[in-house]
Amino acid sequence: MPTVTINTKYFSNLIGSVEIKKAIDQISKLGVEVAGFDDNEITLEITPNRPDLFCAVGLARSVKNFMHKSKKFRYAIEKTDPELSITVDNKVNEIRPYISAIIVKGMAFSEHALSDVINFTEKICEIHGRGRKRIAIGLHDMNKIRQPLYYGLYTDEKFVPLNEDKEMRYSEVIKNTEKGVKYGNIIQNGRRGYPALKDQEGTLALIPILNSNRTKVTHKTKDLLVDITGTSKYLTNKIAWLIASVFADLGCKVYGVNIKSGAVEEVSPMPDDREISVPLSDISHELGVDLSFNSAISLANKMGYYGVYLNEEIKVHVPEYRLDIIDWQDILEDFAIAYGYDYISAVNVPSSAKGSISEKNTFFSKLSELMVGLGFTEALNTYFTDEESNFKKMRTEEIDHVQLLNPKASTITMMRTSLIPSLLRDFGLSSNEKMPQRFFELDMVFSIDGRKPIEEYNLGAVSIDPKSNFNNIKAVVESLAYALDKNIKFKKFDHPSFIEGRCARIILNDEAVGIFGELHPEVLQNFRIEEPGVAFEISLARLYSDISQL
Amino acid sequence: MHKYEIAILKAIGSDSITLEELVRKSGLGKDEAMWALEGLSKNGLVRINRKTVENIELSEEGARYAMESMPEEVLLNKISKKPLAIKNLESDEDRIGIIWAKKQSLAIIQNGMLVITEKGKETLRNRSVQYRVLVSLKDDPKSYPEQKAENKEAVDMLKDRKLIVINTKNVIEGIEVTKKGFEETKGLKSDSEIDALNKNIITNGLWKGKKFKAYDVQVPVEREYVPIRHPLRQMMDELRRAYVGMGFVEIDGPIIEPAFRVFDTLFMPQDHPARDMQDTFYLKEPHSIKIDDQEYVERIKEAHVMAWKQDWSRELAEQALLRTHMTNVSGRYVHNIIEDILKHRKSHDLPIKLFSIGRVFRNENIDYKHLADFYQTDGVIIGKKLTLSNLFSTLTDIYASMNVEVKFKPSYFPFVEPGAEVYAYSKNVNEWIEVGGAGVMRSQVTGVERKDISVLAWGLGVERMLMMKDKTLNSISEMYNCGIRWSRERRL
Repeated sequence: MPTVTINTKYFSNLIGSVEIKKAIDQISKLGVEVAGFDDNEITLEITPNRPDLFCAVGLARSVKNFMHKSKKFRYAIEKTDPELSITVDNKVNEIRPYISAIIVKGMAFSEHALSDVINFTEKICEIHGRGRKRIAIGLHDMNKIRQPLYYGLYTDEKFVPLNEDKEMRYSEVIKNTEKGVKYGNIIQNGRRGYPALKDQEGTLALIPILNSNRTKVTHKTKDLLVDITGTSKYLTNKIAWLIASVFADLGCKVYGVNIKSGAVEEVSPMPDDREISVPLSDISHELGVDLSFNSAISLANKMGYYGVYLNEEIKVHVPEYRLDIIDWQDILEDFAIAYGYDYISAVNVPSSAKGSISEKNTFFSKLSELMVGLGFTEALNTYFTDEESNFKKMRTEEIDHVQLLNPKASTITMMRTSLIPSLLRDFGLSSNEKMPQRFFELDMVFSIDGRKPIEEYNLGAVSIDPKSNFNNIKAVVESLAYALDKNIKFKKFDHPSFIEGRCARIILNDEAVGIFGELHPEVLQNFRIEEPGVAFEISLARLYSDISQL
Repeated sequence: MHKYEIAILKAIGSDSITLEELVRKSGLGKDEAMWALEGLSKNGLVRINRKTVENIELSEEGARYAMESMPEEVLLNKISKKPLAIKNLESDEDRIGIIWAKKQSLAIIQNGMLVITEKGKETLRNRSVQYRVLVSLKDDPKSYPEQKAENKEAVDMLKDRKLIVINTKNVIEGIEVTKKGFEETKGLKSDSEIDALNKNIITNGLWKGKKFKAYDVQVPVEREYVPIRHPLRQMMDELRRAYVGMGFVEIDGPIIEPAFRVFDTLFMPQDHPARDMQDTFYLKEPHSIKIDDQEYVERIKEAHVMAWKQDWSRELAEQALLRTHMTNVSGRYVHNIIEDILKHRKSHDLPIKLFSIGRVFRNENIDYKHLADFYQTDGVIIGKKLTLSNLFSTLTDIYASMNVEVKFKPSYFPFVEPGAEVYAYSKNVNEWIEVGGAGVMRSQVTGVERKDISVLAWGLGVERMLMMKDKTLNSISEMYNCGIRWSRERRL
């Protein structure tokens, strides 16, 4: 979950008369996890669907709404300055086609306000921008810009990047700066040209990598240009509104920008007026309480919605900064949050039928109890292993097996094909314990048939015991077969994991369903086991064909 | 005098003798010999000379380290190329690593960064002394005195870290007959008392009028190690019974799935971070799994394009992976049942309540504290006009059967709306911990308007449930891949 850290004093200023402890309490009721809170910092874990809460301004807005301290439900953009426009060259279409922009005037940045805004935009680029792939945001000092502006694809030009003192080529920025190395691959490191935003004096930004030093924003900056570039027009537009709402809440005036693309001229951001209606009865039903329309509207207001009552429905206006509202189901959740999950009364769901445990698990439970009765303790092991443990230590050849593509851990590469190696590893952990040691496991093994993955249940058991021999484990297998009423036969078999002449196959209806015998000393040694051991493993899927039909 | 006692006195003879020799020469079992010795020594007939020996073994944590590596070595590896910020080293094993790396001056903290020292670099090349000692002790516990002499510092630290356990045992060095014993041996006969009862004594009534040799109730014996079902399996059976009591039917489904079943049908956008290679196990073999249900694919595609405003790729949906939750199982049933009702006009008695318990997988760094597989339980109720009220009630009942309280916080999962996180509290744990997620399934997922059919869904951690009941358990990973000792230490 995204973690956001905000300055406590700054946040305190933003929420005005609301007491800070109360505000923190309200925030957690919105589903935000308060991970840390002291006089300097508040650390929050916020679900990724609510980017509007990724900054102190947005959090303050929702707290004030929640406590009915604010009635600001709509955000508007001042009409555009006809002088200012961005002309888009259609060559960017294949690399990063869309740009939205806003102009912010009358900013009085405190130090905290500036870092709050910058952290906010960075977080959005990371989370919603998927590491700037889908969205990148640039802030520029408007008064340093000479209009008009162009967004296009350029050759390897020069500019002075942010916080540098000399000119660099675009290609050098990609190769030699931290941001270039990190984000260069988004534009294929410039192989097909470099997307850039330029004005009359040159480059404002190499997109989506680095801004120019010339238009750097400081706490003295009064007017800003914010550009949002990306791969989805819908998203660049929504993010423009999201940022506009933050500056509006800071008391600035926000203006639109004309975007010219070929013959098309549009104002950015495009209007984002959306209304959604939810029947009042549905809201009441969800909360388990009879709501009056007045209280429903009050709940809507708590979550920042302007709402009216019309034809027995509550019609709300979706705030411009909300990115997560797909349809009425999302609105319904906000009503529930405003009402408070703690206050939703429990209503039992009557059953229409009898419950039941699956036949498979009923059988497995019985089988496991039988194994316990035979003196074996149940083991629980990971399904993951590597070729070394699964095959080599068992002295067997590799067979087709399910392989992992991208394991983080170097110790695992595949899904196990057999239970015995898992069990042997367990013994290696407490070899000093009193003998005999007996483990069984009833769980899954994996293989591949052609291209089809096979998931099966096996029953495996190992007994490490100075006195163990072939006949002891054969007796266990016989007991099982008797209890399960299966008429099995034994057939001499040579298997590299077992001692030659002390191993047999278990045959049921002319099909091999399992194996048992005395473990080979080299296998024991491979697992650091110092006493003799016997083992068996049976395929339950072959023993019970109905079990394999999950 | 009892016949065992006589046998013992005869076996000892005139010299001091070890217990093993005594057992061999007397022909008695060890327990029988000990029992007889206790009596003889109490009466002053034999003298038992004891000595204290130190016996060393590795704890399970120690054994794991010996098989893999020390946490500080893992950490050193991470910072070997370049220093890392302390604040990014938050996991438990990182923290353990930091403590021990600092203690041994293998790394230092400079300006909030963890930097490897020269000693640390050398450790990376030659393995740490502690590791080497640990492995030697694992292979040959008898080498303990030499190790203690040569690597005292490392041995002491291993002790402090509880990676090795030293047991002092009082063992019998020698047994000899006292003067009094020699005197009494002369011309003694046994059988005045009955020792072991047998068939002959019972059926022929030989016991009549005789006394039974008494046992000393204080003589220590080793307890029996009872084979048990794994505690987590016991927990799962208990959970099954709780579900069944509430009218739920158990279902199951595959582990290896196309991404479609685990992500796309659950409305997770194709570029959602949870689908990243970072978090999900994708497979090299098989690499992809075909999706046959064309109509289903079309509906899901449309829902994605409408909501997420981006293209939808069938290729990504067919990537083979290991499920990251159990909702692929419930999702399949929900889809089939709703299709039955809508398309095939089959009648089902609603509500239908289903549950599953199964293994799920997260691509994690694996060490003794973190695993990549664990159990989840998923539940769904398919019904009419179901709401949060019904959901909260059902979850409260499930946990109530285990004496656990629950509460709910708003949260976000793409496939439910409203969504909630489930927090649980038990006296054993004594704090509220997050145990799962829940919500009302979106109509985009169910494919039906909520006013017609609604579906409640949840996914909960099973290991957590066990931890809430059993206060001796501190982590999920300790329940897996355990040695026999762990099982022998369990209680009811």
